[in-house]
Amino acid sequence: MNVQLFLDKICEVLEIEPGSLKGDEPLDSLDNWDSLAVISFIALADEELGVIVDAEKLSNAQSVRDLLDLVSDKVSA
Amino acid sequence: MTALPATPPMDMNGRTVLVTGASTGIGRATAEVLASLGARVIANGRDASRLSQVVSQLPGQGHLAETFDLSRMDEVAPWLKDLCARHGPLNGLAHCAGIQMTRAVRQVDQAFFDQTMHVNLGSAVALARGFRQKGCKGEPAAMVFVSSIAGLIGQPGNVVYAASKGGLMSAVRALAMEFLRDGIRVNAVAPALVDTEMAARSRATMTAEQYQYMLDQHPMGIGQPQDVAHPIAFLLSDASRWINAVTLPVEGGYLAR
Repeated sequence: MNVQLFLDKICEVLEIEPGSLKGDEPLDSLDNWDSLAVISFIALADEELGVIVDAEKLSNAQSVRDLLDLVSDKVSA
Repeated sequence: MTALPATPPMDMNGRTVLVTGASTGIGRATAEVLASLGARVIANGRDASRLSQVVSQLPGQGHLAETFDLSRMDEVAPWLKDLCARHGPLNGLAHCAGIQMTRAVRQVDQAFFDQTMHVNLGSAVALARGFRQKGCKGEPAAMVFVSSIAGLIGQPGNVVYAASKGGLMSAVRALAMEFLRDGIRVNAVAPALVDTEMAARSRATMTAEQYQYMLDQHPMGIGQPQDVAHPIAFLLSDASRWINAVTLPVEGGYLAR
């Protein structure tokens, strides 16, 4: 899956306009990045990419870039 | 002084019990407890090799493994009919099979909803339908379903699972009344977090903080499979002869906080 498509799926999880994310946004700048968004991201990675995200690494993520790094094996630029 | 029964009320010698989800977790522990009480256990699951391993390690004799996918609702009653034609009627059915996946409502689609409800609730009703067939239910007869406290509390991210387990509690009450004429008692247990493979998979879908928050809600810590297996055995035995249509919370005081 390409990066932009995955970013758009993250937009769906965050319930913001598709195309809103460029990939470098700090997570704490995103209004809807809450505990439900976290479990939704985990489910997204599993269902769309077959990736089981490491919950510990996810809790350390600071930016959208960090989220992409968690699934980098399955997401191409 | 009340005369004590000649046979301990939880003795299951001479009884045959079908245990679903018997490959692992609560189902496996239930099979072990029932076998240790003297029951002949028919262990059901989807993985034949795991089931065989479980059955081979049960105390006592005569236990069997029967693979079948219980989500095939319309096939459950014929399967039970055939099973009982081969092995005799059942005195008990412990339905321990189920699935849990954390999923916020924003991501719930029909496929996810249908799968969860099918496996957790549909299969239970299908088993009930099958169990009451002539030739399937023995004397005495009792069913126990594994519900969850998720059906009694409000957990974000667990809406569909909660609905399936809450629905199971309601179904138990109606089934118990409908099955009075069939001589089948119907009850459920509602565990909190139990140390099983399913719980471990569920843990992988949440952050460490979320998991710790869950742990902190458990006054006595998380349960072990045997902690749920023993109440299930109780509800299948003569010791619970006058207990019907209830869901027994098995949760170390979780609901009292």
